[in-house]
Amino acid sequence: MLKRNKLTPYLYLLPAFAFLLLVYIPIFQNIWDSLYEWSTFSPDKVFVGIDNYVHLFKDPVFYQALKNNILYAVISIIFQVGGGLIVAAVLEDKLIRKFSPFFRTVYFLPVVVSMTVIALLFTFFYNPEVGLLNQVLKMIGLDSLAKPWLGDSDTAIYAVIAVSQWQSIGYIAMLYIVAIQKISPELYEAAEIDGANKFKMFFHITVPQTKEMTFVAVILTLTGAFTVFNEPYILTGGGPGTSSEVLSTYLYKTAFSKDMMGYASSIATVILIITLLLSLVQMKAFKTGKEDA
Amino acid sequence: MKKTNLILASLLSCSLMLGGCAGKQTSSNSDTGKTTLTFFHRWPKEPEKSYFEEVVKEFEKQHPDIDIKTEAVLNDSYKDKIKVMTGTNTPPDVYFSWSDEFARQFVRGNKALDLTSYYKKDSAWSSQLVQSQIKPYTVNNKIYGVPVTMDGKMFFFNKDIFDKLGLKAPTNWSELLNVLSVLKKKHYTALEFGSQDTWTISHYVGTLNQRMVKPDVLSKDYNSKTGAFTDKGYVKALEKLEELVPYFNKNTNSIDHEYARQQFSNGKAAMFYAETAEIKLFGPTKFKIGMFNFPKVDDGKGNATNLTGSPEGFMISSKTKHPKEAMEFLEFLTSKQMGEKLVKEVGKYSAVNDTANSSNSTPEQLEAVDNILQAKEMAPWFDMAIDARIADAYLTGTQLMLNGDKTPKEVMKDVQKAAASVRAESKK
Repeated sequence: MLKRNKLTPYLYLLPAFAFLLLVYIPIFQNIWDSLYEWSTFSPDKVFVGIDNYVHLFKDPVFYQALKNNILYAVISIIFQVGGGLIVAAVLEDKLIRKFSPFFRTVYFLPVVVSMTVIALLFTFFYNPEVGLLNQVLKMIGLDSLAKPWLGDSDTAIYAVIAVSQWQSIGYIAMLYIVAIQKISPELYEAAEIDGANKFKMFFHITVPQTKEMTFVAVILTLTGAFTVFNEPYILTGGGPGTSSEVLSTYLYKTAFSKDMMGYASSIATVILIITLLLSLVQMKAFKTGKEDA
Repeated sequence: MKKTNLILASLLSCSLMLGGCAGKQTSSNSDTGKTTLTFFHRWPKEPEKSYFEEVVKEFEKQHPDIDIKTEAVLNDSYKDKIKVMTGTNTPPDVYFSWSDEFARQFVRGNKALDLTSYYKKDSAWSSQLVQSQIKPYTVNNKIYGVPVTMDGKMFFFNKDIFDKLGLKAPTNWSELLNVLSVLKKKHYTALEFGSQDTWTISHYVGTLNQRMVKPDVLSKDYNSKTGAFTDKGYVKALEKLEELVPYFNKNTNSIDHEYARQQFSNGKAAMFYAETAEIKLFGPTKFKIGMFNFPKVDDGKGNATNLTGSPEGFMISSKTKHPKEAMEFLEFLTSKQMGEKLVKEVGKYSAVNDTANSSNSTPEQLEAVDNILQAKEMAPWFDMAIDARIADAYLTGTQLMLNGDKTPKEVMKDVQKAAASVRAESKK
């Protein structure tokens, strides 16, 4: 009886072990692969140690891609987290609450539409001659602002980032709406009695009370910024030149177009390290946070 | 952004994608008494899709013991996917391949079956192919592919505009610049160009390299083991392309080739550098279309009259279990009957002799075929002629040059760097 009981817990844990294997074996295999120079065509893999990483950290395209990912992260924090919070606060205000379901739907719709579809739509939106954006700009007399958004090396990455903001702000706003709904109305009532205006209530009640959700939103946005692939791949393919390349598109191109699998594995490992560090920050941040009852 | 995906899930997919390429897959043998061939090509769109479906259906009707499973992926995805699939244990039996270096990759990696014996044995079939189109699938005197379509890159022009302005098709570079200059002064878009996709840039660069650089230097540089790209002709070639920039439509890097083609066929541009296979895609135009080969370049040291263009065709996997049946299918695909059907229904030119005629082709298409057949020499598509890593540096650099962000010398410096690392690697 006792012997059988000792075995039972491990049997129940077997699926978890299998899951762990499925997660960690590919990761370590990828790290191992990054120590080799190999392609789908060459018969053998040549061990090169850390050569792939040495080349990677001398590669100007890598730094261009990393810079673009950082740009993505900074802009996304500002517009998605900041903008999402503002949108959520507005929608949850007493005056607007009755219309909120409609606007929540409107803001959230882009989130559920396939990014592939959205990217193709924005290709037309950004067309320098017949695109909606430039046509509107010309219509209101701002011809000098009518740029070839996706075709200019200076503007391409910003045009791509803008699409991501448009799509994802609704998601962050929805998270914040949930967080705001958990705030006790008594706090707002007390502040109102004391004569606080909307802005003071926003900065002194809404912002501190949604701190936990801010952590979640920031981490989500940051990891998304460093693993983004669809938007730059479909809208610009990393071009013009390599001006809107991000780490994921560079990884893909290196692996499947240039057939440098080992080098691509090293890029994948760097992405892994970046996102793991962000996850560690998240775990650290949650420990310092306090969940109010 | 993939906000709803788990952090590790996206990395997991990256790792699996990469790890899976080197892994071995178990092959599933479905023994139903029938032979099954997998057929992989790059035309999921019409009109090619229907054409290949009908070819397969007709072949299966004539060979009841053979089943063909077709899979199709669009152009750029195909370039990537075919490399991965041929690296697995169950590659497609018959697969589409561009010619020249793209095909040579498969040969070097031992992914392509040697078809030389079939060409010799089935001479009734092989002798009806346009012989110049077989060469790009030949490596070390052995034939590894079957050309299905042939193509050429030419300048197309609006004859109505040219007649109105008293212009003639230019035969050399200075004449070309003069024509473009006159067109621009008369406020036409002289030359339409959609350079968002880098393959469109490779067609200009490839032809200019052919014109500017000595053939022996060129063939040495295009070889990944010996390529250096230090000849001054390469910088001059890019400078020639820079000379065309004032005459292009604005914002070429924002426009794809398809949009540019529409601009030309809508009469909004006077000239367009395009493939002969695109004539059908111009559709019915309100103006007459003329065409001419890329002009000679007066100070060039290269081939003055090459026509840029390469056949597209198919190869058979070296791992196929049914080489005889696969070859039978390819011979059927490149029969005269299927070739005529291709010209009629798809509008591309079959690599089989005497398949384009007045009953299935427009006068412009017949003129294009004649240009291809009369060409003393054909030059390969540039992005298929050189190593993919060098091509990437070359074309992304040139794309930035078109924006004014880089000079020709800077582009070639990056190319030389890429070529050096490819050279170093191929010596290991």
